[in-house]
Amino acid sequence: MPVRMGQGRSRRAVLGGLAGTVAGAALAGCWPNSDKPKPPPSPHPLTSALGGTQALIDRYQATIAGYPDLAERLQPLLADHRAHLDALRKAMGLPAPSASPSTPAASGAADQDGAVAALKAAEQSGQTEAVTACLAASAQYAPLLGSIAACRATHVEVLSA
Amino acid sequence: MSAATDALAAALAAEHAAIFGYGVVGARLTGAATGQAREAESAHRARRDKLVVQLTKAGTTPPAAQPAYALPFPVGDAAGAQKLAVQLEERTAAIWRTALGPTTGGDRKLALDALIDCAQRAARWRRATGQEPGTVPLP
Repeated sequence: MPVRMGQGRSRRAVLGGLAGTVAGAALAGCWPNSDKPKPPPSPHPLTSALGGTQALIDRYQATIAGYPDLAERLQPLLADHRAHLDALRKAMGLPAPSASPSTPAASGAADQDGAVAALKAAEQSGQTEAVTACLAASAQYAPLLGSIAACRATHVEVLSA
Repeated sequence: MSAATDALAAALAAEHAAIFGYGVVGARLTGAATGQAREAESAHRARRDKLVVQLTKAGTTPPAAQPAYALPFPVGDAAGAQKLAVQLEERTAAIWRTALGPTTGGDRKLALDALIDCAQRAARWRRATGQEPGTVPLP
């Protein structure tokens, strides 16, 4: 009995693992064309990079709102991220974003130095994300993602000064 | 040659040119900037050596360095040398960026590391010439 149970579990595990791919495709193939469920639209390969760029923009805006003295130092870096957003949207075939007046959330940092340190950490994670995305990207998107990674690396140095 | 090998050969040619350029840059600088130039030149030399080995292993003949390269403008003083250093890094970065498309795996990692390094050095040289923060959106 324990042997049978073990086999059953293992078979279920295999089927479970295949469900999303082979088994799913085989079932879909058995159905009449009219009933074939539409696969969910796969996200654009740059969707994640776009989200990460918007998150950095939000973070810069929140920091500038909380610490106006940092505005002069941070605005050029924020402009770089906005250029990334434009370049990504263009590559994705999306229209330019309408200038929506976003209300930046308050920066969580306790003081100005802490706010800069938090931005530096965010740029470092952003660089790592862009490097990973670039290495996994198709030939079409690798140069853009590589440039974004390199730009974030230069920001880390500026914020370390 | 594959598209990836072509891209690496083009990057090697750019690294040869950058090394030549830093010879001119280093001769016009003094103080801390000399160290910055020396360090940059050795980074370009290290990448050149790696590329020569890699292209040879891939069964191709790596492009050799030219005896001399035309400078984009005459360099007569330290300010001109720093301006040339910015251009050397920008041009090399652009070649490495182009190499990201046709390469994969370890070759693409090499290209990306090089692009990041050149972009950081270009930004440092811009700051050395008084441009703050010296970054560009798409190096």
